Amino acid sequence: METLTTRGRLGAALVIGLAVASARPALNAQSPARALSVAAASDLQTTLPGLVARFERSAGVKVAVSFASSGALFAQIQNGAPFDVFFSADIDYPKRLIASGHAESGSLYEYATGRIVLWTRQNSGVDVTRGLTVLRDSRVRRIAIANPQTAPYGRAAVAALRHDKLYDAVQGKLVLGENISQAAQLVDSGNADAGIIAMSLALGPAMRARGRFKEIPASAHPPIEQGVVITSASRAKGTARQLLDYLKRPEAIELLQHSGFASPAVPAR
Amino acid sequence: MTLSIDIRKRLSSQFALDVAFTAVPGVTNLFGASGSGKTTVLRCLAGLLRPDAGHVSIGDRLLFDSTASVDIPVQQRNVGYVFQQLALFPHLSIEQNIAYALHRRPRDEQRQRVNDIAGSFHIQHLLDRMPGQVSGGERQRAALARALVSDPSLLLLDEPLSALDHAIQARIMEDLRAWNEAHRIPVLYVTHSHREVFGLGERVVVLERGRVLATGSPHEVLDHPSHVVLANLAGFENVFDATVTDRHEQAGTMQCRLDDSNTDLEVPLTDASVGAAVRLAIRAGDILIANQEPRGLSARNVLHGRLADLTRQGPTVVAKVDAGVRLMVHLTPRGAESLGLRRGNHVWLIIKTYSCRIVVGGS
Amino acid sequence: MDWQAIWLTVRLAAVVSAILLVISLPLAHWLTFSRRRWTFLIESLVSLPLVLPPTVLGFYLLMSMGARSPIGRAWESWTGHSLAFTFEGLVVASILYSMPFAVQPIAAAFAQVDPALREASATLGASGVRTFLRITLPLSIEGVIAGVVLSFAHTVGEFGVVLMVGGNLPGITRTVSIAIYDQVQALQYREATLTAFVMLVFAFVVLAAVYGLRRRPWSATPLA
Repeated sequence: METLTTRGRLGAALVIGLAVASARPALNAQSPARALSVAAASDLQTTLPGLVARFERSAGVKVAVSFASSGALFAQIQNGAPFDVFFSADIDYPKRLIASGHAESGSLYEYATGRIVLWTRQNSGVDVTRGLTVLRDSRVRRIAIANPQTAPYGRAAVAALRHDKLYDAVQGKLVLGENISQAAQLVDSGNADAGIIAMSLALGPAMRARGRFKEIPASAHPPIEQGVVITSASRAKGTARQLLDYLKRPEAIELLQHSGFASPAVPAR
Repeated sequence: MTLSIDIRKRLSSQFALDVAFTAVPGVTNLFGASGSGKTTVLRCLAGLLRPDAGHVSIGDRLLFDSTASVDIPVQQRNVGYVFQQLALFPHLSIEQNIAYALHRRPRDEQRQRVNDIAGSFHIQHLLDRMPGQVSGGERQRAALARALVSDPSLLLLDEPLSALDHAIQARIMEDLRAWNEAHRIPVLYVTHSHREVFGLGERVVVLERGRVLATGSPHEVLDHPSHVVLANLAGFENVFDATVTDRHEQAGTMQCRLDDSNTDLEVPLTDASVGAAVRLAIRAGDILIANQEPRGLSARNVLHGRLADLTRQGPTVVAKVDAGVRLMVHLTPRGAESLGLRRGNHVWLIIKTYSCRIVVGGS
Repeated sequence: MDWQAIWLTVRLAAVVSAILLVISLPLAHWLTFSRRRWTFLIESLVSLPLVLPPTVLGFYLLMSMGARSPIGRAWESWTGHSLAFTFEGLVVASILYSMPFAVQPIAAAFAQVDPALREASATLGASGVRTFLRITLPLSIEGVIAGVVLSFAHTVGEFGVVLMVGGNLPGITRTVSIAIYDQVQALQYREATLTAFVMLVFAFVVLAAVYGLRRRPWSATPLA
């Protein structure tokens, strides 16, 4: 068309060029059999990469991890997401996947029990050594927890507050993070004065140096049972089982404990 | 090839079009007030609007016939249309605009035709320019050239020259007429200005509220308006109701008393009887004004009155005079000056018998 | 610096804008010039993604494209692999999600083309296609460009839909917005800021290139 100027032609070339340059990527970024695709709850952000790296070295397997909320991963696996292994923050999801036929019944393993802590920034002036009662202070204006409706760590936080008879007093100061990681960000960024977060996050390299925390006794809340399961659609079940076996090894358990998880009470249920 | 149109179209609950007329090769004016349906007629002829019923043909080429379910699409009608806003394509050069309808023809034929038509309308030197870069008159010529380059069988012009000054208008119309001499097709020229009608058309079709009021030559239709509406359209500023008081058969005149006044006028004889109600129309430009009582004139109508208002409107001075009835008079500025006219002055109005036209009907 | 995610995102946005351009031209033309009474229904459908929260939309798209859906199953039998959790799945989801950003500016641009010009074109013997290619399109090219740019930018910025439908698979469906989110979740703020900055610069360069090619930038004074 003579109506398109040189500039117009250049513009069209730009768009089309980009599009044409987009060849379809190779379907498998990883080759089959000696690779695993793992879905993990976001509270494992600071812990799982280290664990997985050791496994990769010892087993000679390449592992790709995708983090998201346990609920979203649950829905995705039910709709055909190509994950081999699912690390959930809540053992309920893997149980439901087994019930709906999307996960192998024999593979369920409670790999860790979550712990919660009261965390605050270094210079916040909040004395966390006093435990949860410090949250009554008027200086503590906002308290971050994970959303109890969707996150097991959030439910545990609420349970702990009720246990200490603090819930009614501090309810108005609660700020909800979409997941435990977001709750941690809220405190870390100063938007909340203190927060009840996962110990695994508090011990992580990013937060350890920046704040102080106090453990909340496990007796104050129902146990946060974290379960892992192998999906039915997995094409690398053998390798997946290797990963689950690795979790039972003393070095793995030690790493988990070191990272802020309690060791599993029993291997499988 | 004669255009023959007979269509009906309802546009709203208040307005329906019902027109029938023919147009021979040459320029025919389609004349009427705004809203009388002129543009609607053009759009139906072009195929942009579908009539509810009727028939349109040019020579023996049928364009629309509701009974035979014929409705030739716009693209195939070969009707040239110059829109009111010209609708030149702003992103194409004048040459590309003119050549637009020729895209199927071979390149050299295109070039030949474009040069020919550009020559006929004296715009060969503007072919490389963009529409935004040429003057109003030149755009008009380009729009004409574009519409005519493919030899249409009918040309429609929608009030195209109203924005241009008189001299430019006249020149463009000359070029169009010259072209029309060589290509004998009907040209329908829509206008609401009676001045244009006199200057530009050989025949006129008058539209009023969706109907044809009169057809004929401009002189027939507008100089002797048979209808009040025509009188208004044709620029008769003074229209009065009157009653016939006396008839002078031998002299060919009759006497009328203007209603609600003591003013009498002598007017040409018609067959209205004494006591009948008539309507008179007098052009403001046909009335003479004097600042002294005139003597020794042939005119039979001399009215005495006072000057109520005097204003300058462009090249004309408009005087409003109370002489038993309110009359509007046009004079030249020099004339007004030389008489030393001031508001409140006593003046005399002189109206020739033949300047009074009897019109009928209308409201 | 997750170059893989950046390149994947650029490819995704380019493919989606190109396909949207092809779809939007006839769709916008129909929406603008059709005289049917029910065009407003289609307009509303097209604009739906504007008001739905991305995660809701993502969830429903997952349900309609996933392994349990008829579409997902048909795709699987046809091609041998799933539609959801692949690059193709992201393309399909993004096309639906970014469609209003392409269709609306293009339709608006078509609408402001003087109808007399289109009619004049018809009286000069041009078919509907010719009128579109020679008159309507050239005179509305800025709106078309705006539609392409907006759908490109919108696709780059997508998060909720892409996460749900794509599954955050590295190298396959982990777009840069998800990568940044992951980094923030892992409290790696430095890395996140760096990646975000690279995307910002890239987006700015693309926009500047496209706007620079326009004939009349946002100014009231026409070009001489």
